[in-house]
Amino acid sequence: MYKVLMFDGGVYRVNELYELVEDLGGFVIQKTQIQVQIVVTLVVPEEDVPVIEKKTQELGGKLTDVPLAGTEIAVVAPTLGRHHMPHPVCDIAEHLRRYGAITVVMGLARGKGRQTAQISADEKATIEEYDAAVFVLGNFEDCILKEKIRLFENIEIPVTVVCGPDIKRVPSCEALVTGVCRKVERMRRAEEIAKLEETVAALGKIIEARRREIDEDPLFVHPAEVKQRIESLEAVQKSLRPAPIVLHLDGLRVKIPYEEWRDELASIDIFGYKLGDVTKISGARIGGSTLMKILTKSEVEAREARKSATAA
Amino acid sequence: MKVEVEGTEKYGTDSYVELFNGILLDVGLTRMVEAVKFIIRPSDPLFLISIRTRKAAGLVMVSDIADVSGTEGGTMVTIRDETYAPTLISLLWHKYGRERIDQLTRLELFCKGISEKEISDLGLDPGEELKSKVLDAVWRLLPEGFKIRHNISSENVMTVVATEHDMKKEWIELAEKAHAEMGVG
Repeated sequence: MYKVLMFDGGVYRVNELYELVEDLGGFVIQKTQIQVQIVVTLVVPEEDVPVIEKKTQELGGKLTDVPLAGTEIAVVAPTLGRHHMPHPVCDIAEHLRRYGAITVVMGLARGKGRQTAQISADEKATIEEYDAAVFVLGNFEDCILKEKIRLFENIEIPVTVVCGPDIKRVPSCEALVTGVCRKVERMRRAEEIAKLEETVAALGKIIEARRREIDEDPLFVHPAEVKQRIESLEAVQKSLRPAPIVLHLDGLRVKIPYEEWRDELASIDIFGYKLGDVTKISGARIGGSTLMKILTKSEVEAREARKSATAA
Repeated sequence: MKVEVEGTEKYGTDSYVELFNGILLDVGLTRMVEAVKFIIRPSDPLFLISIRTRKAAGLVMVSDIADVSGTEGGTMVTIRDETYAPTLISLLWHKYGRERIDQLTRLELFCKGISEKEISDLGLDPGEELKSKVLDAVWRLLPEGFKIRHNISSENVMTVVATEHDMKKEWIELAEKAHAEMGVG
């Protein structure tokens, strides 16, 4: 299994690190250079982490584990109104970013109220495009357990619930963080930061489990390899959106219009295959984006076997 | 500030008290609220808040906070105490219409066709402003989906009861009782 790490150091001899990562069969996901300092997010096989650690020490850099790197997470609030949306939702989204995730904040159109809170099929499908979702709910146990669970009970991605009351168990969710309620100011006290850390830890476990699950039938290519192939596309380079390519655990979101670019994306070469043969390419619900789900090795093999049987 | 809480869930009610304190701090009312009572029953669902405020300062005359001088075609007003500026401008707009009030600079107004005496005799009521601030704090606090509301307001007590579907008669009676008790202190 691959491990995502963040190298923080100087640019001097950093090429040696890139070469080492390549030799180990890993990839560089992102490079952010500020004058002579550079932050590199890289992916290497888990068993080779000590080699990277040694190299980092040699280069005088610092290596940190970014458990959520390479994921896109939706932080969902019942509405975007000031009753639900500010502080805890933004603080959670920001804290997840510190651990490498790309996060989006989403408010439901009709999520306000107790019995009247609703989620539409369209909203559910949009949330399911992400690797995991965090639902930030309210202060009352009765309201959460009797009504709000409907908001996430049929969502097919892992859900973490963050709420106020100390509830022991909430159905239909993979993780639960309690003690985070409505606030009028940012979460900056020590006990509040501990809650943010708890949320990151809960999501970290979920993502780790999902990575291990994917590893049982590995993807044909790592999403970072696909990213390297498509980032030279003109439309991607001209895209003004922050992070035009976002890695998912089992694919990518490319922020260029699907209708216009699907054929070009499908025809890109990757290890002797066409990208269209090893990924499922579809339009994203959020306009102007394309989703790519990478097939597993066994799926590609089965597809090849079918092809050769038909040819014979 | 005296706080009284009734509710079916301790965590929820306590966090609403904390939230209310934060909101009061935000809108600058901490010293103006004397007592507050919450009744929160999420299972009904019912949210009741009753607030008693301190008495606001008395009526302030325009001539006390601004220089008023009659000129040709109207009256010139130069605001001396800018804390009253937004209230005075909105009062003039409301009373005479925007087309008759020219805001020349931040603190200078020209009131077309209005006599000096008429402007000088106008009074600003800080009590109204206090009420609207308290109401703003209550709107910020109330659960967003509780759209069915019943308000009771007297000189220095304001009570709001809110629910999601139908307002029951007993809840209105409960609000009236809480309002009366709050008035007595």
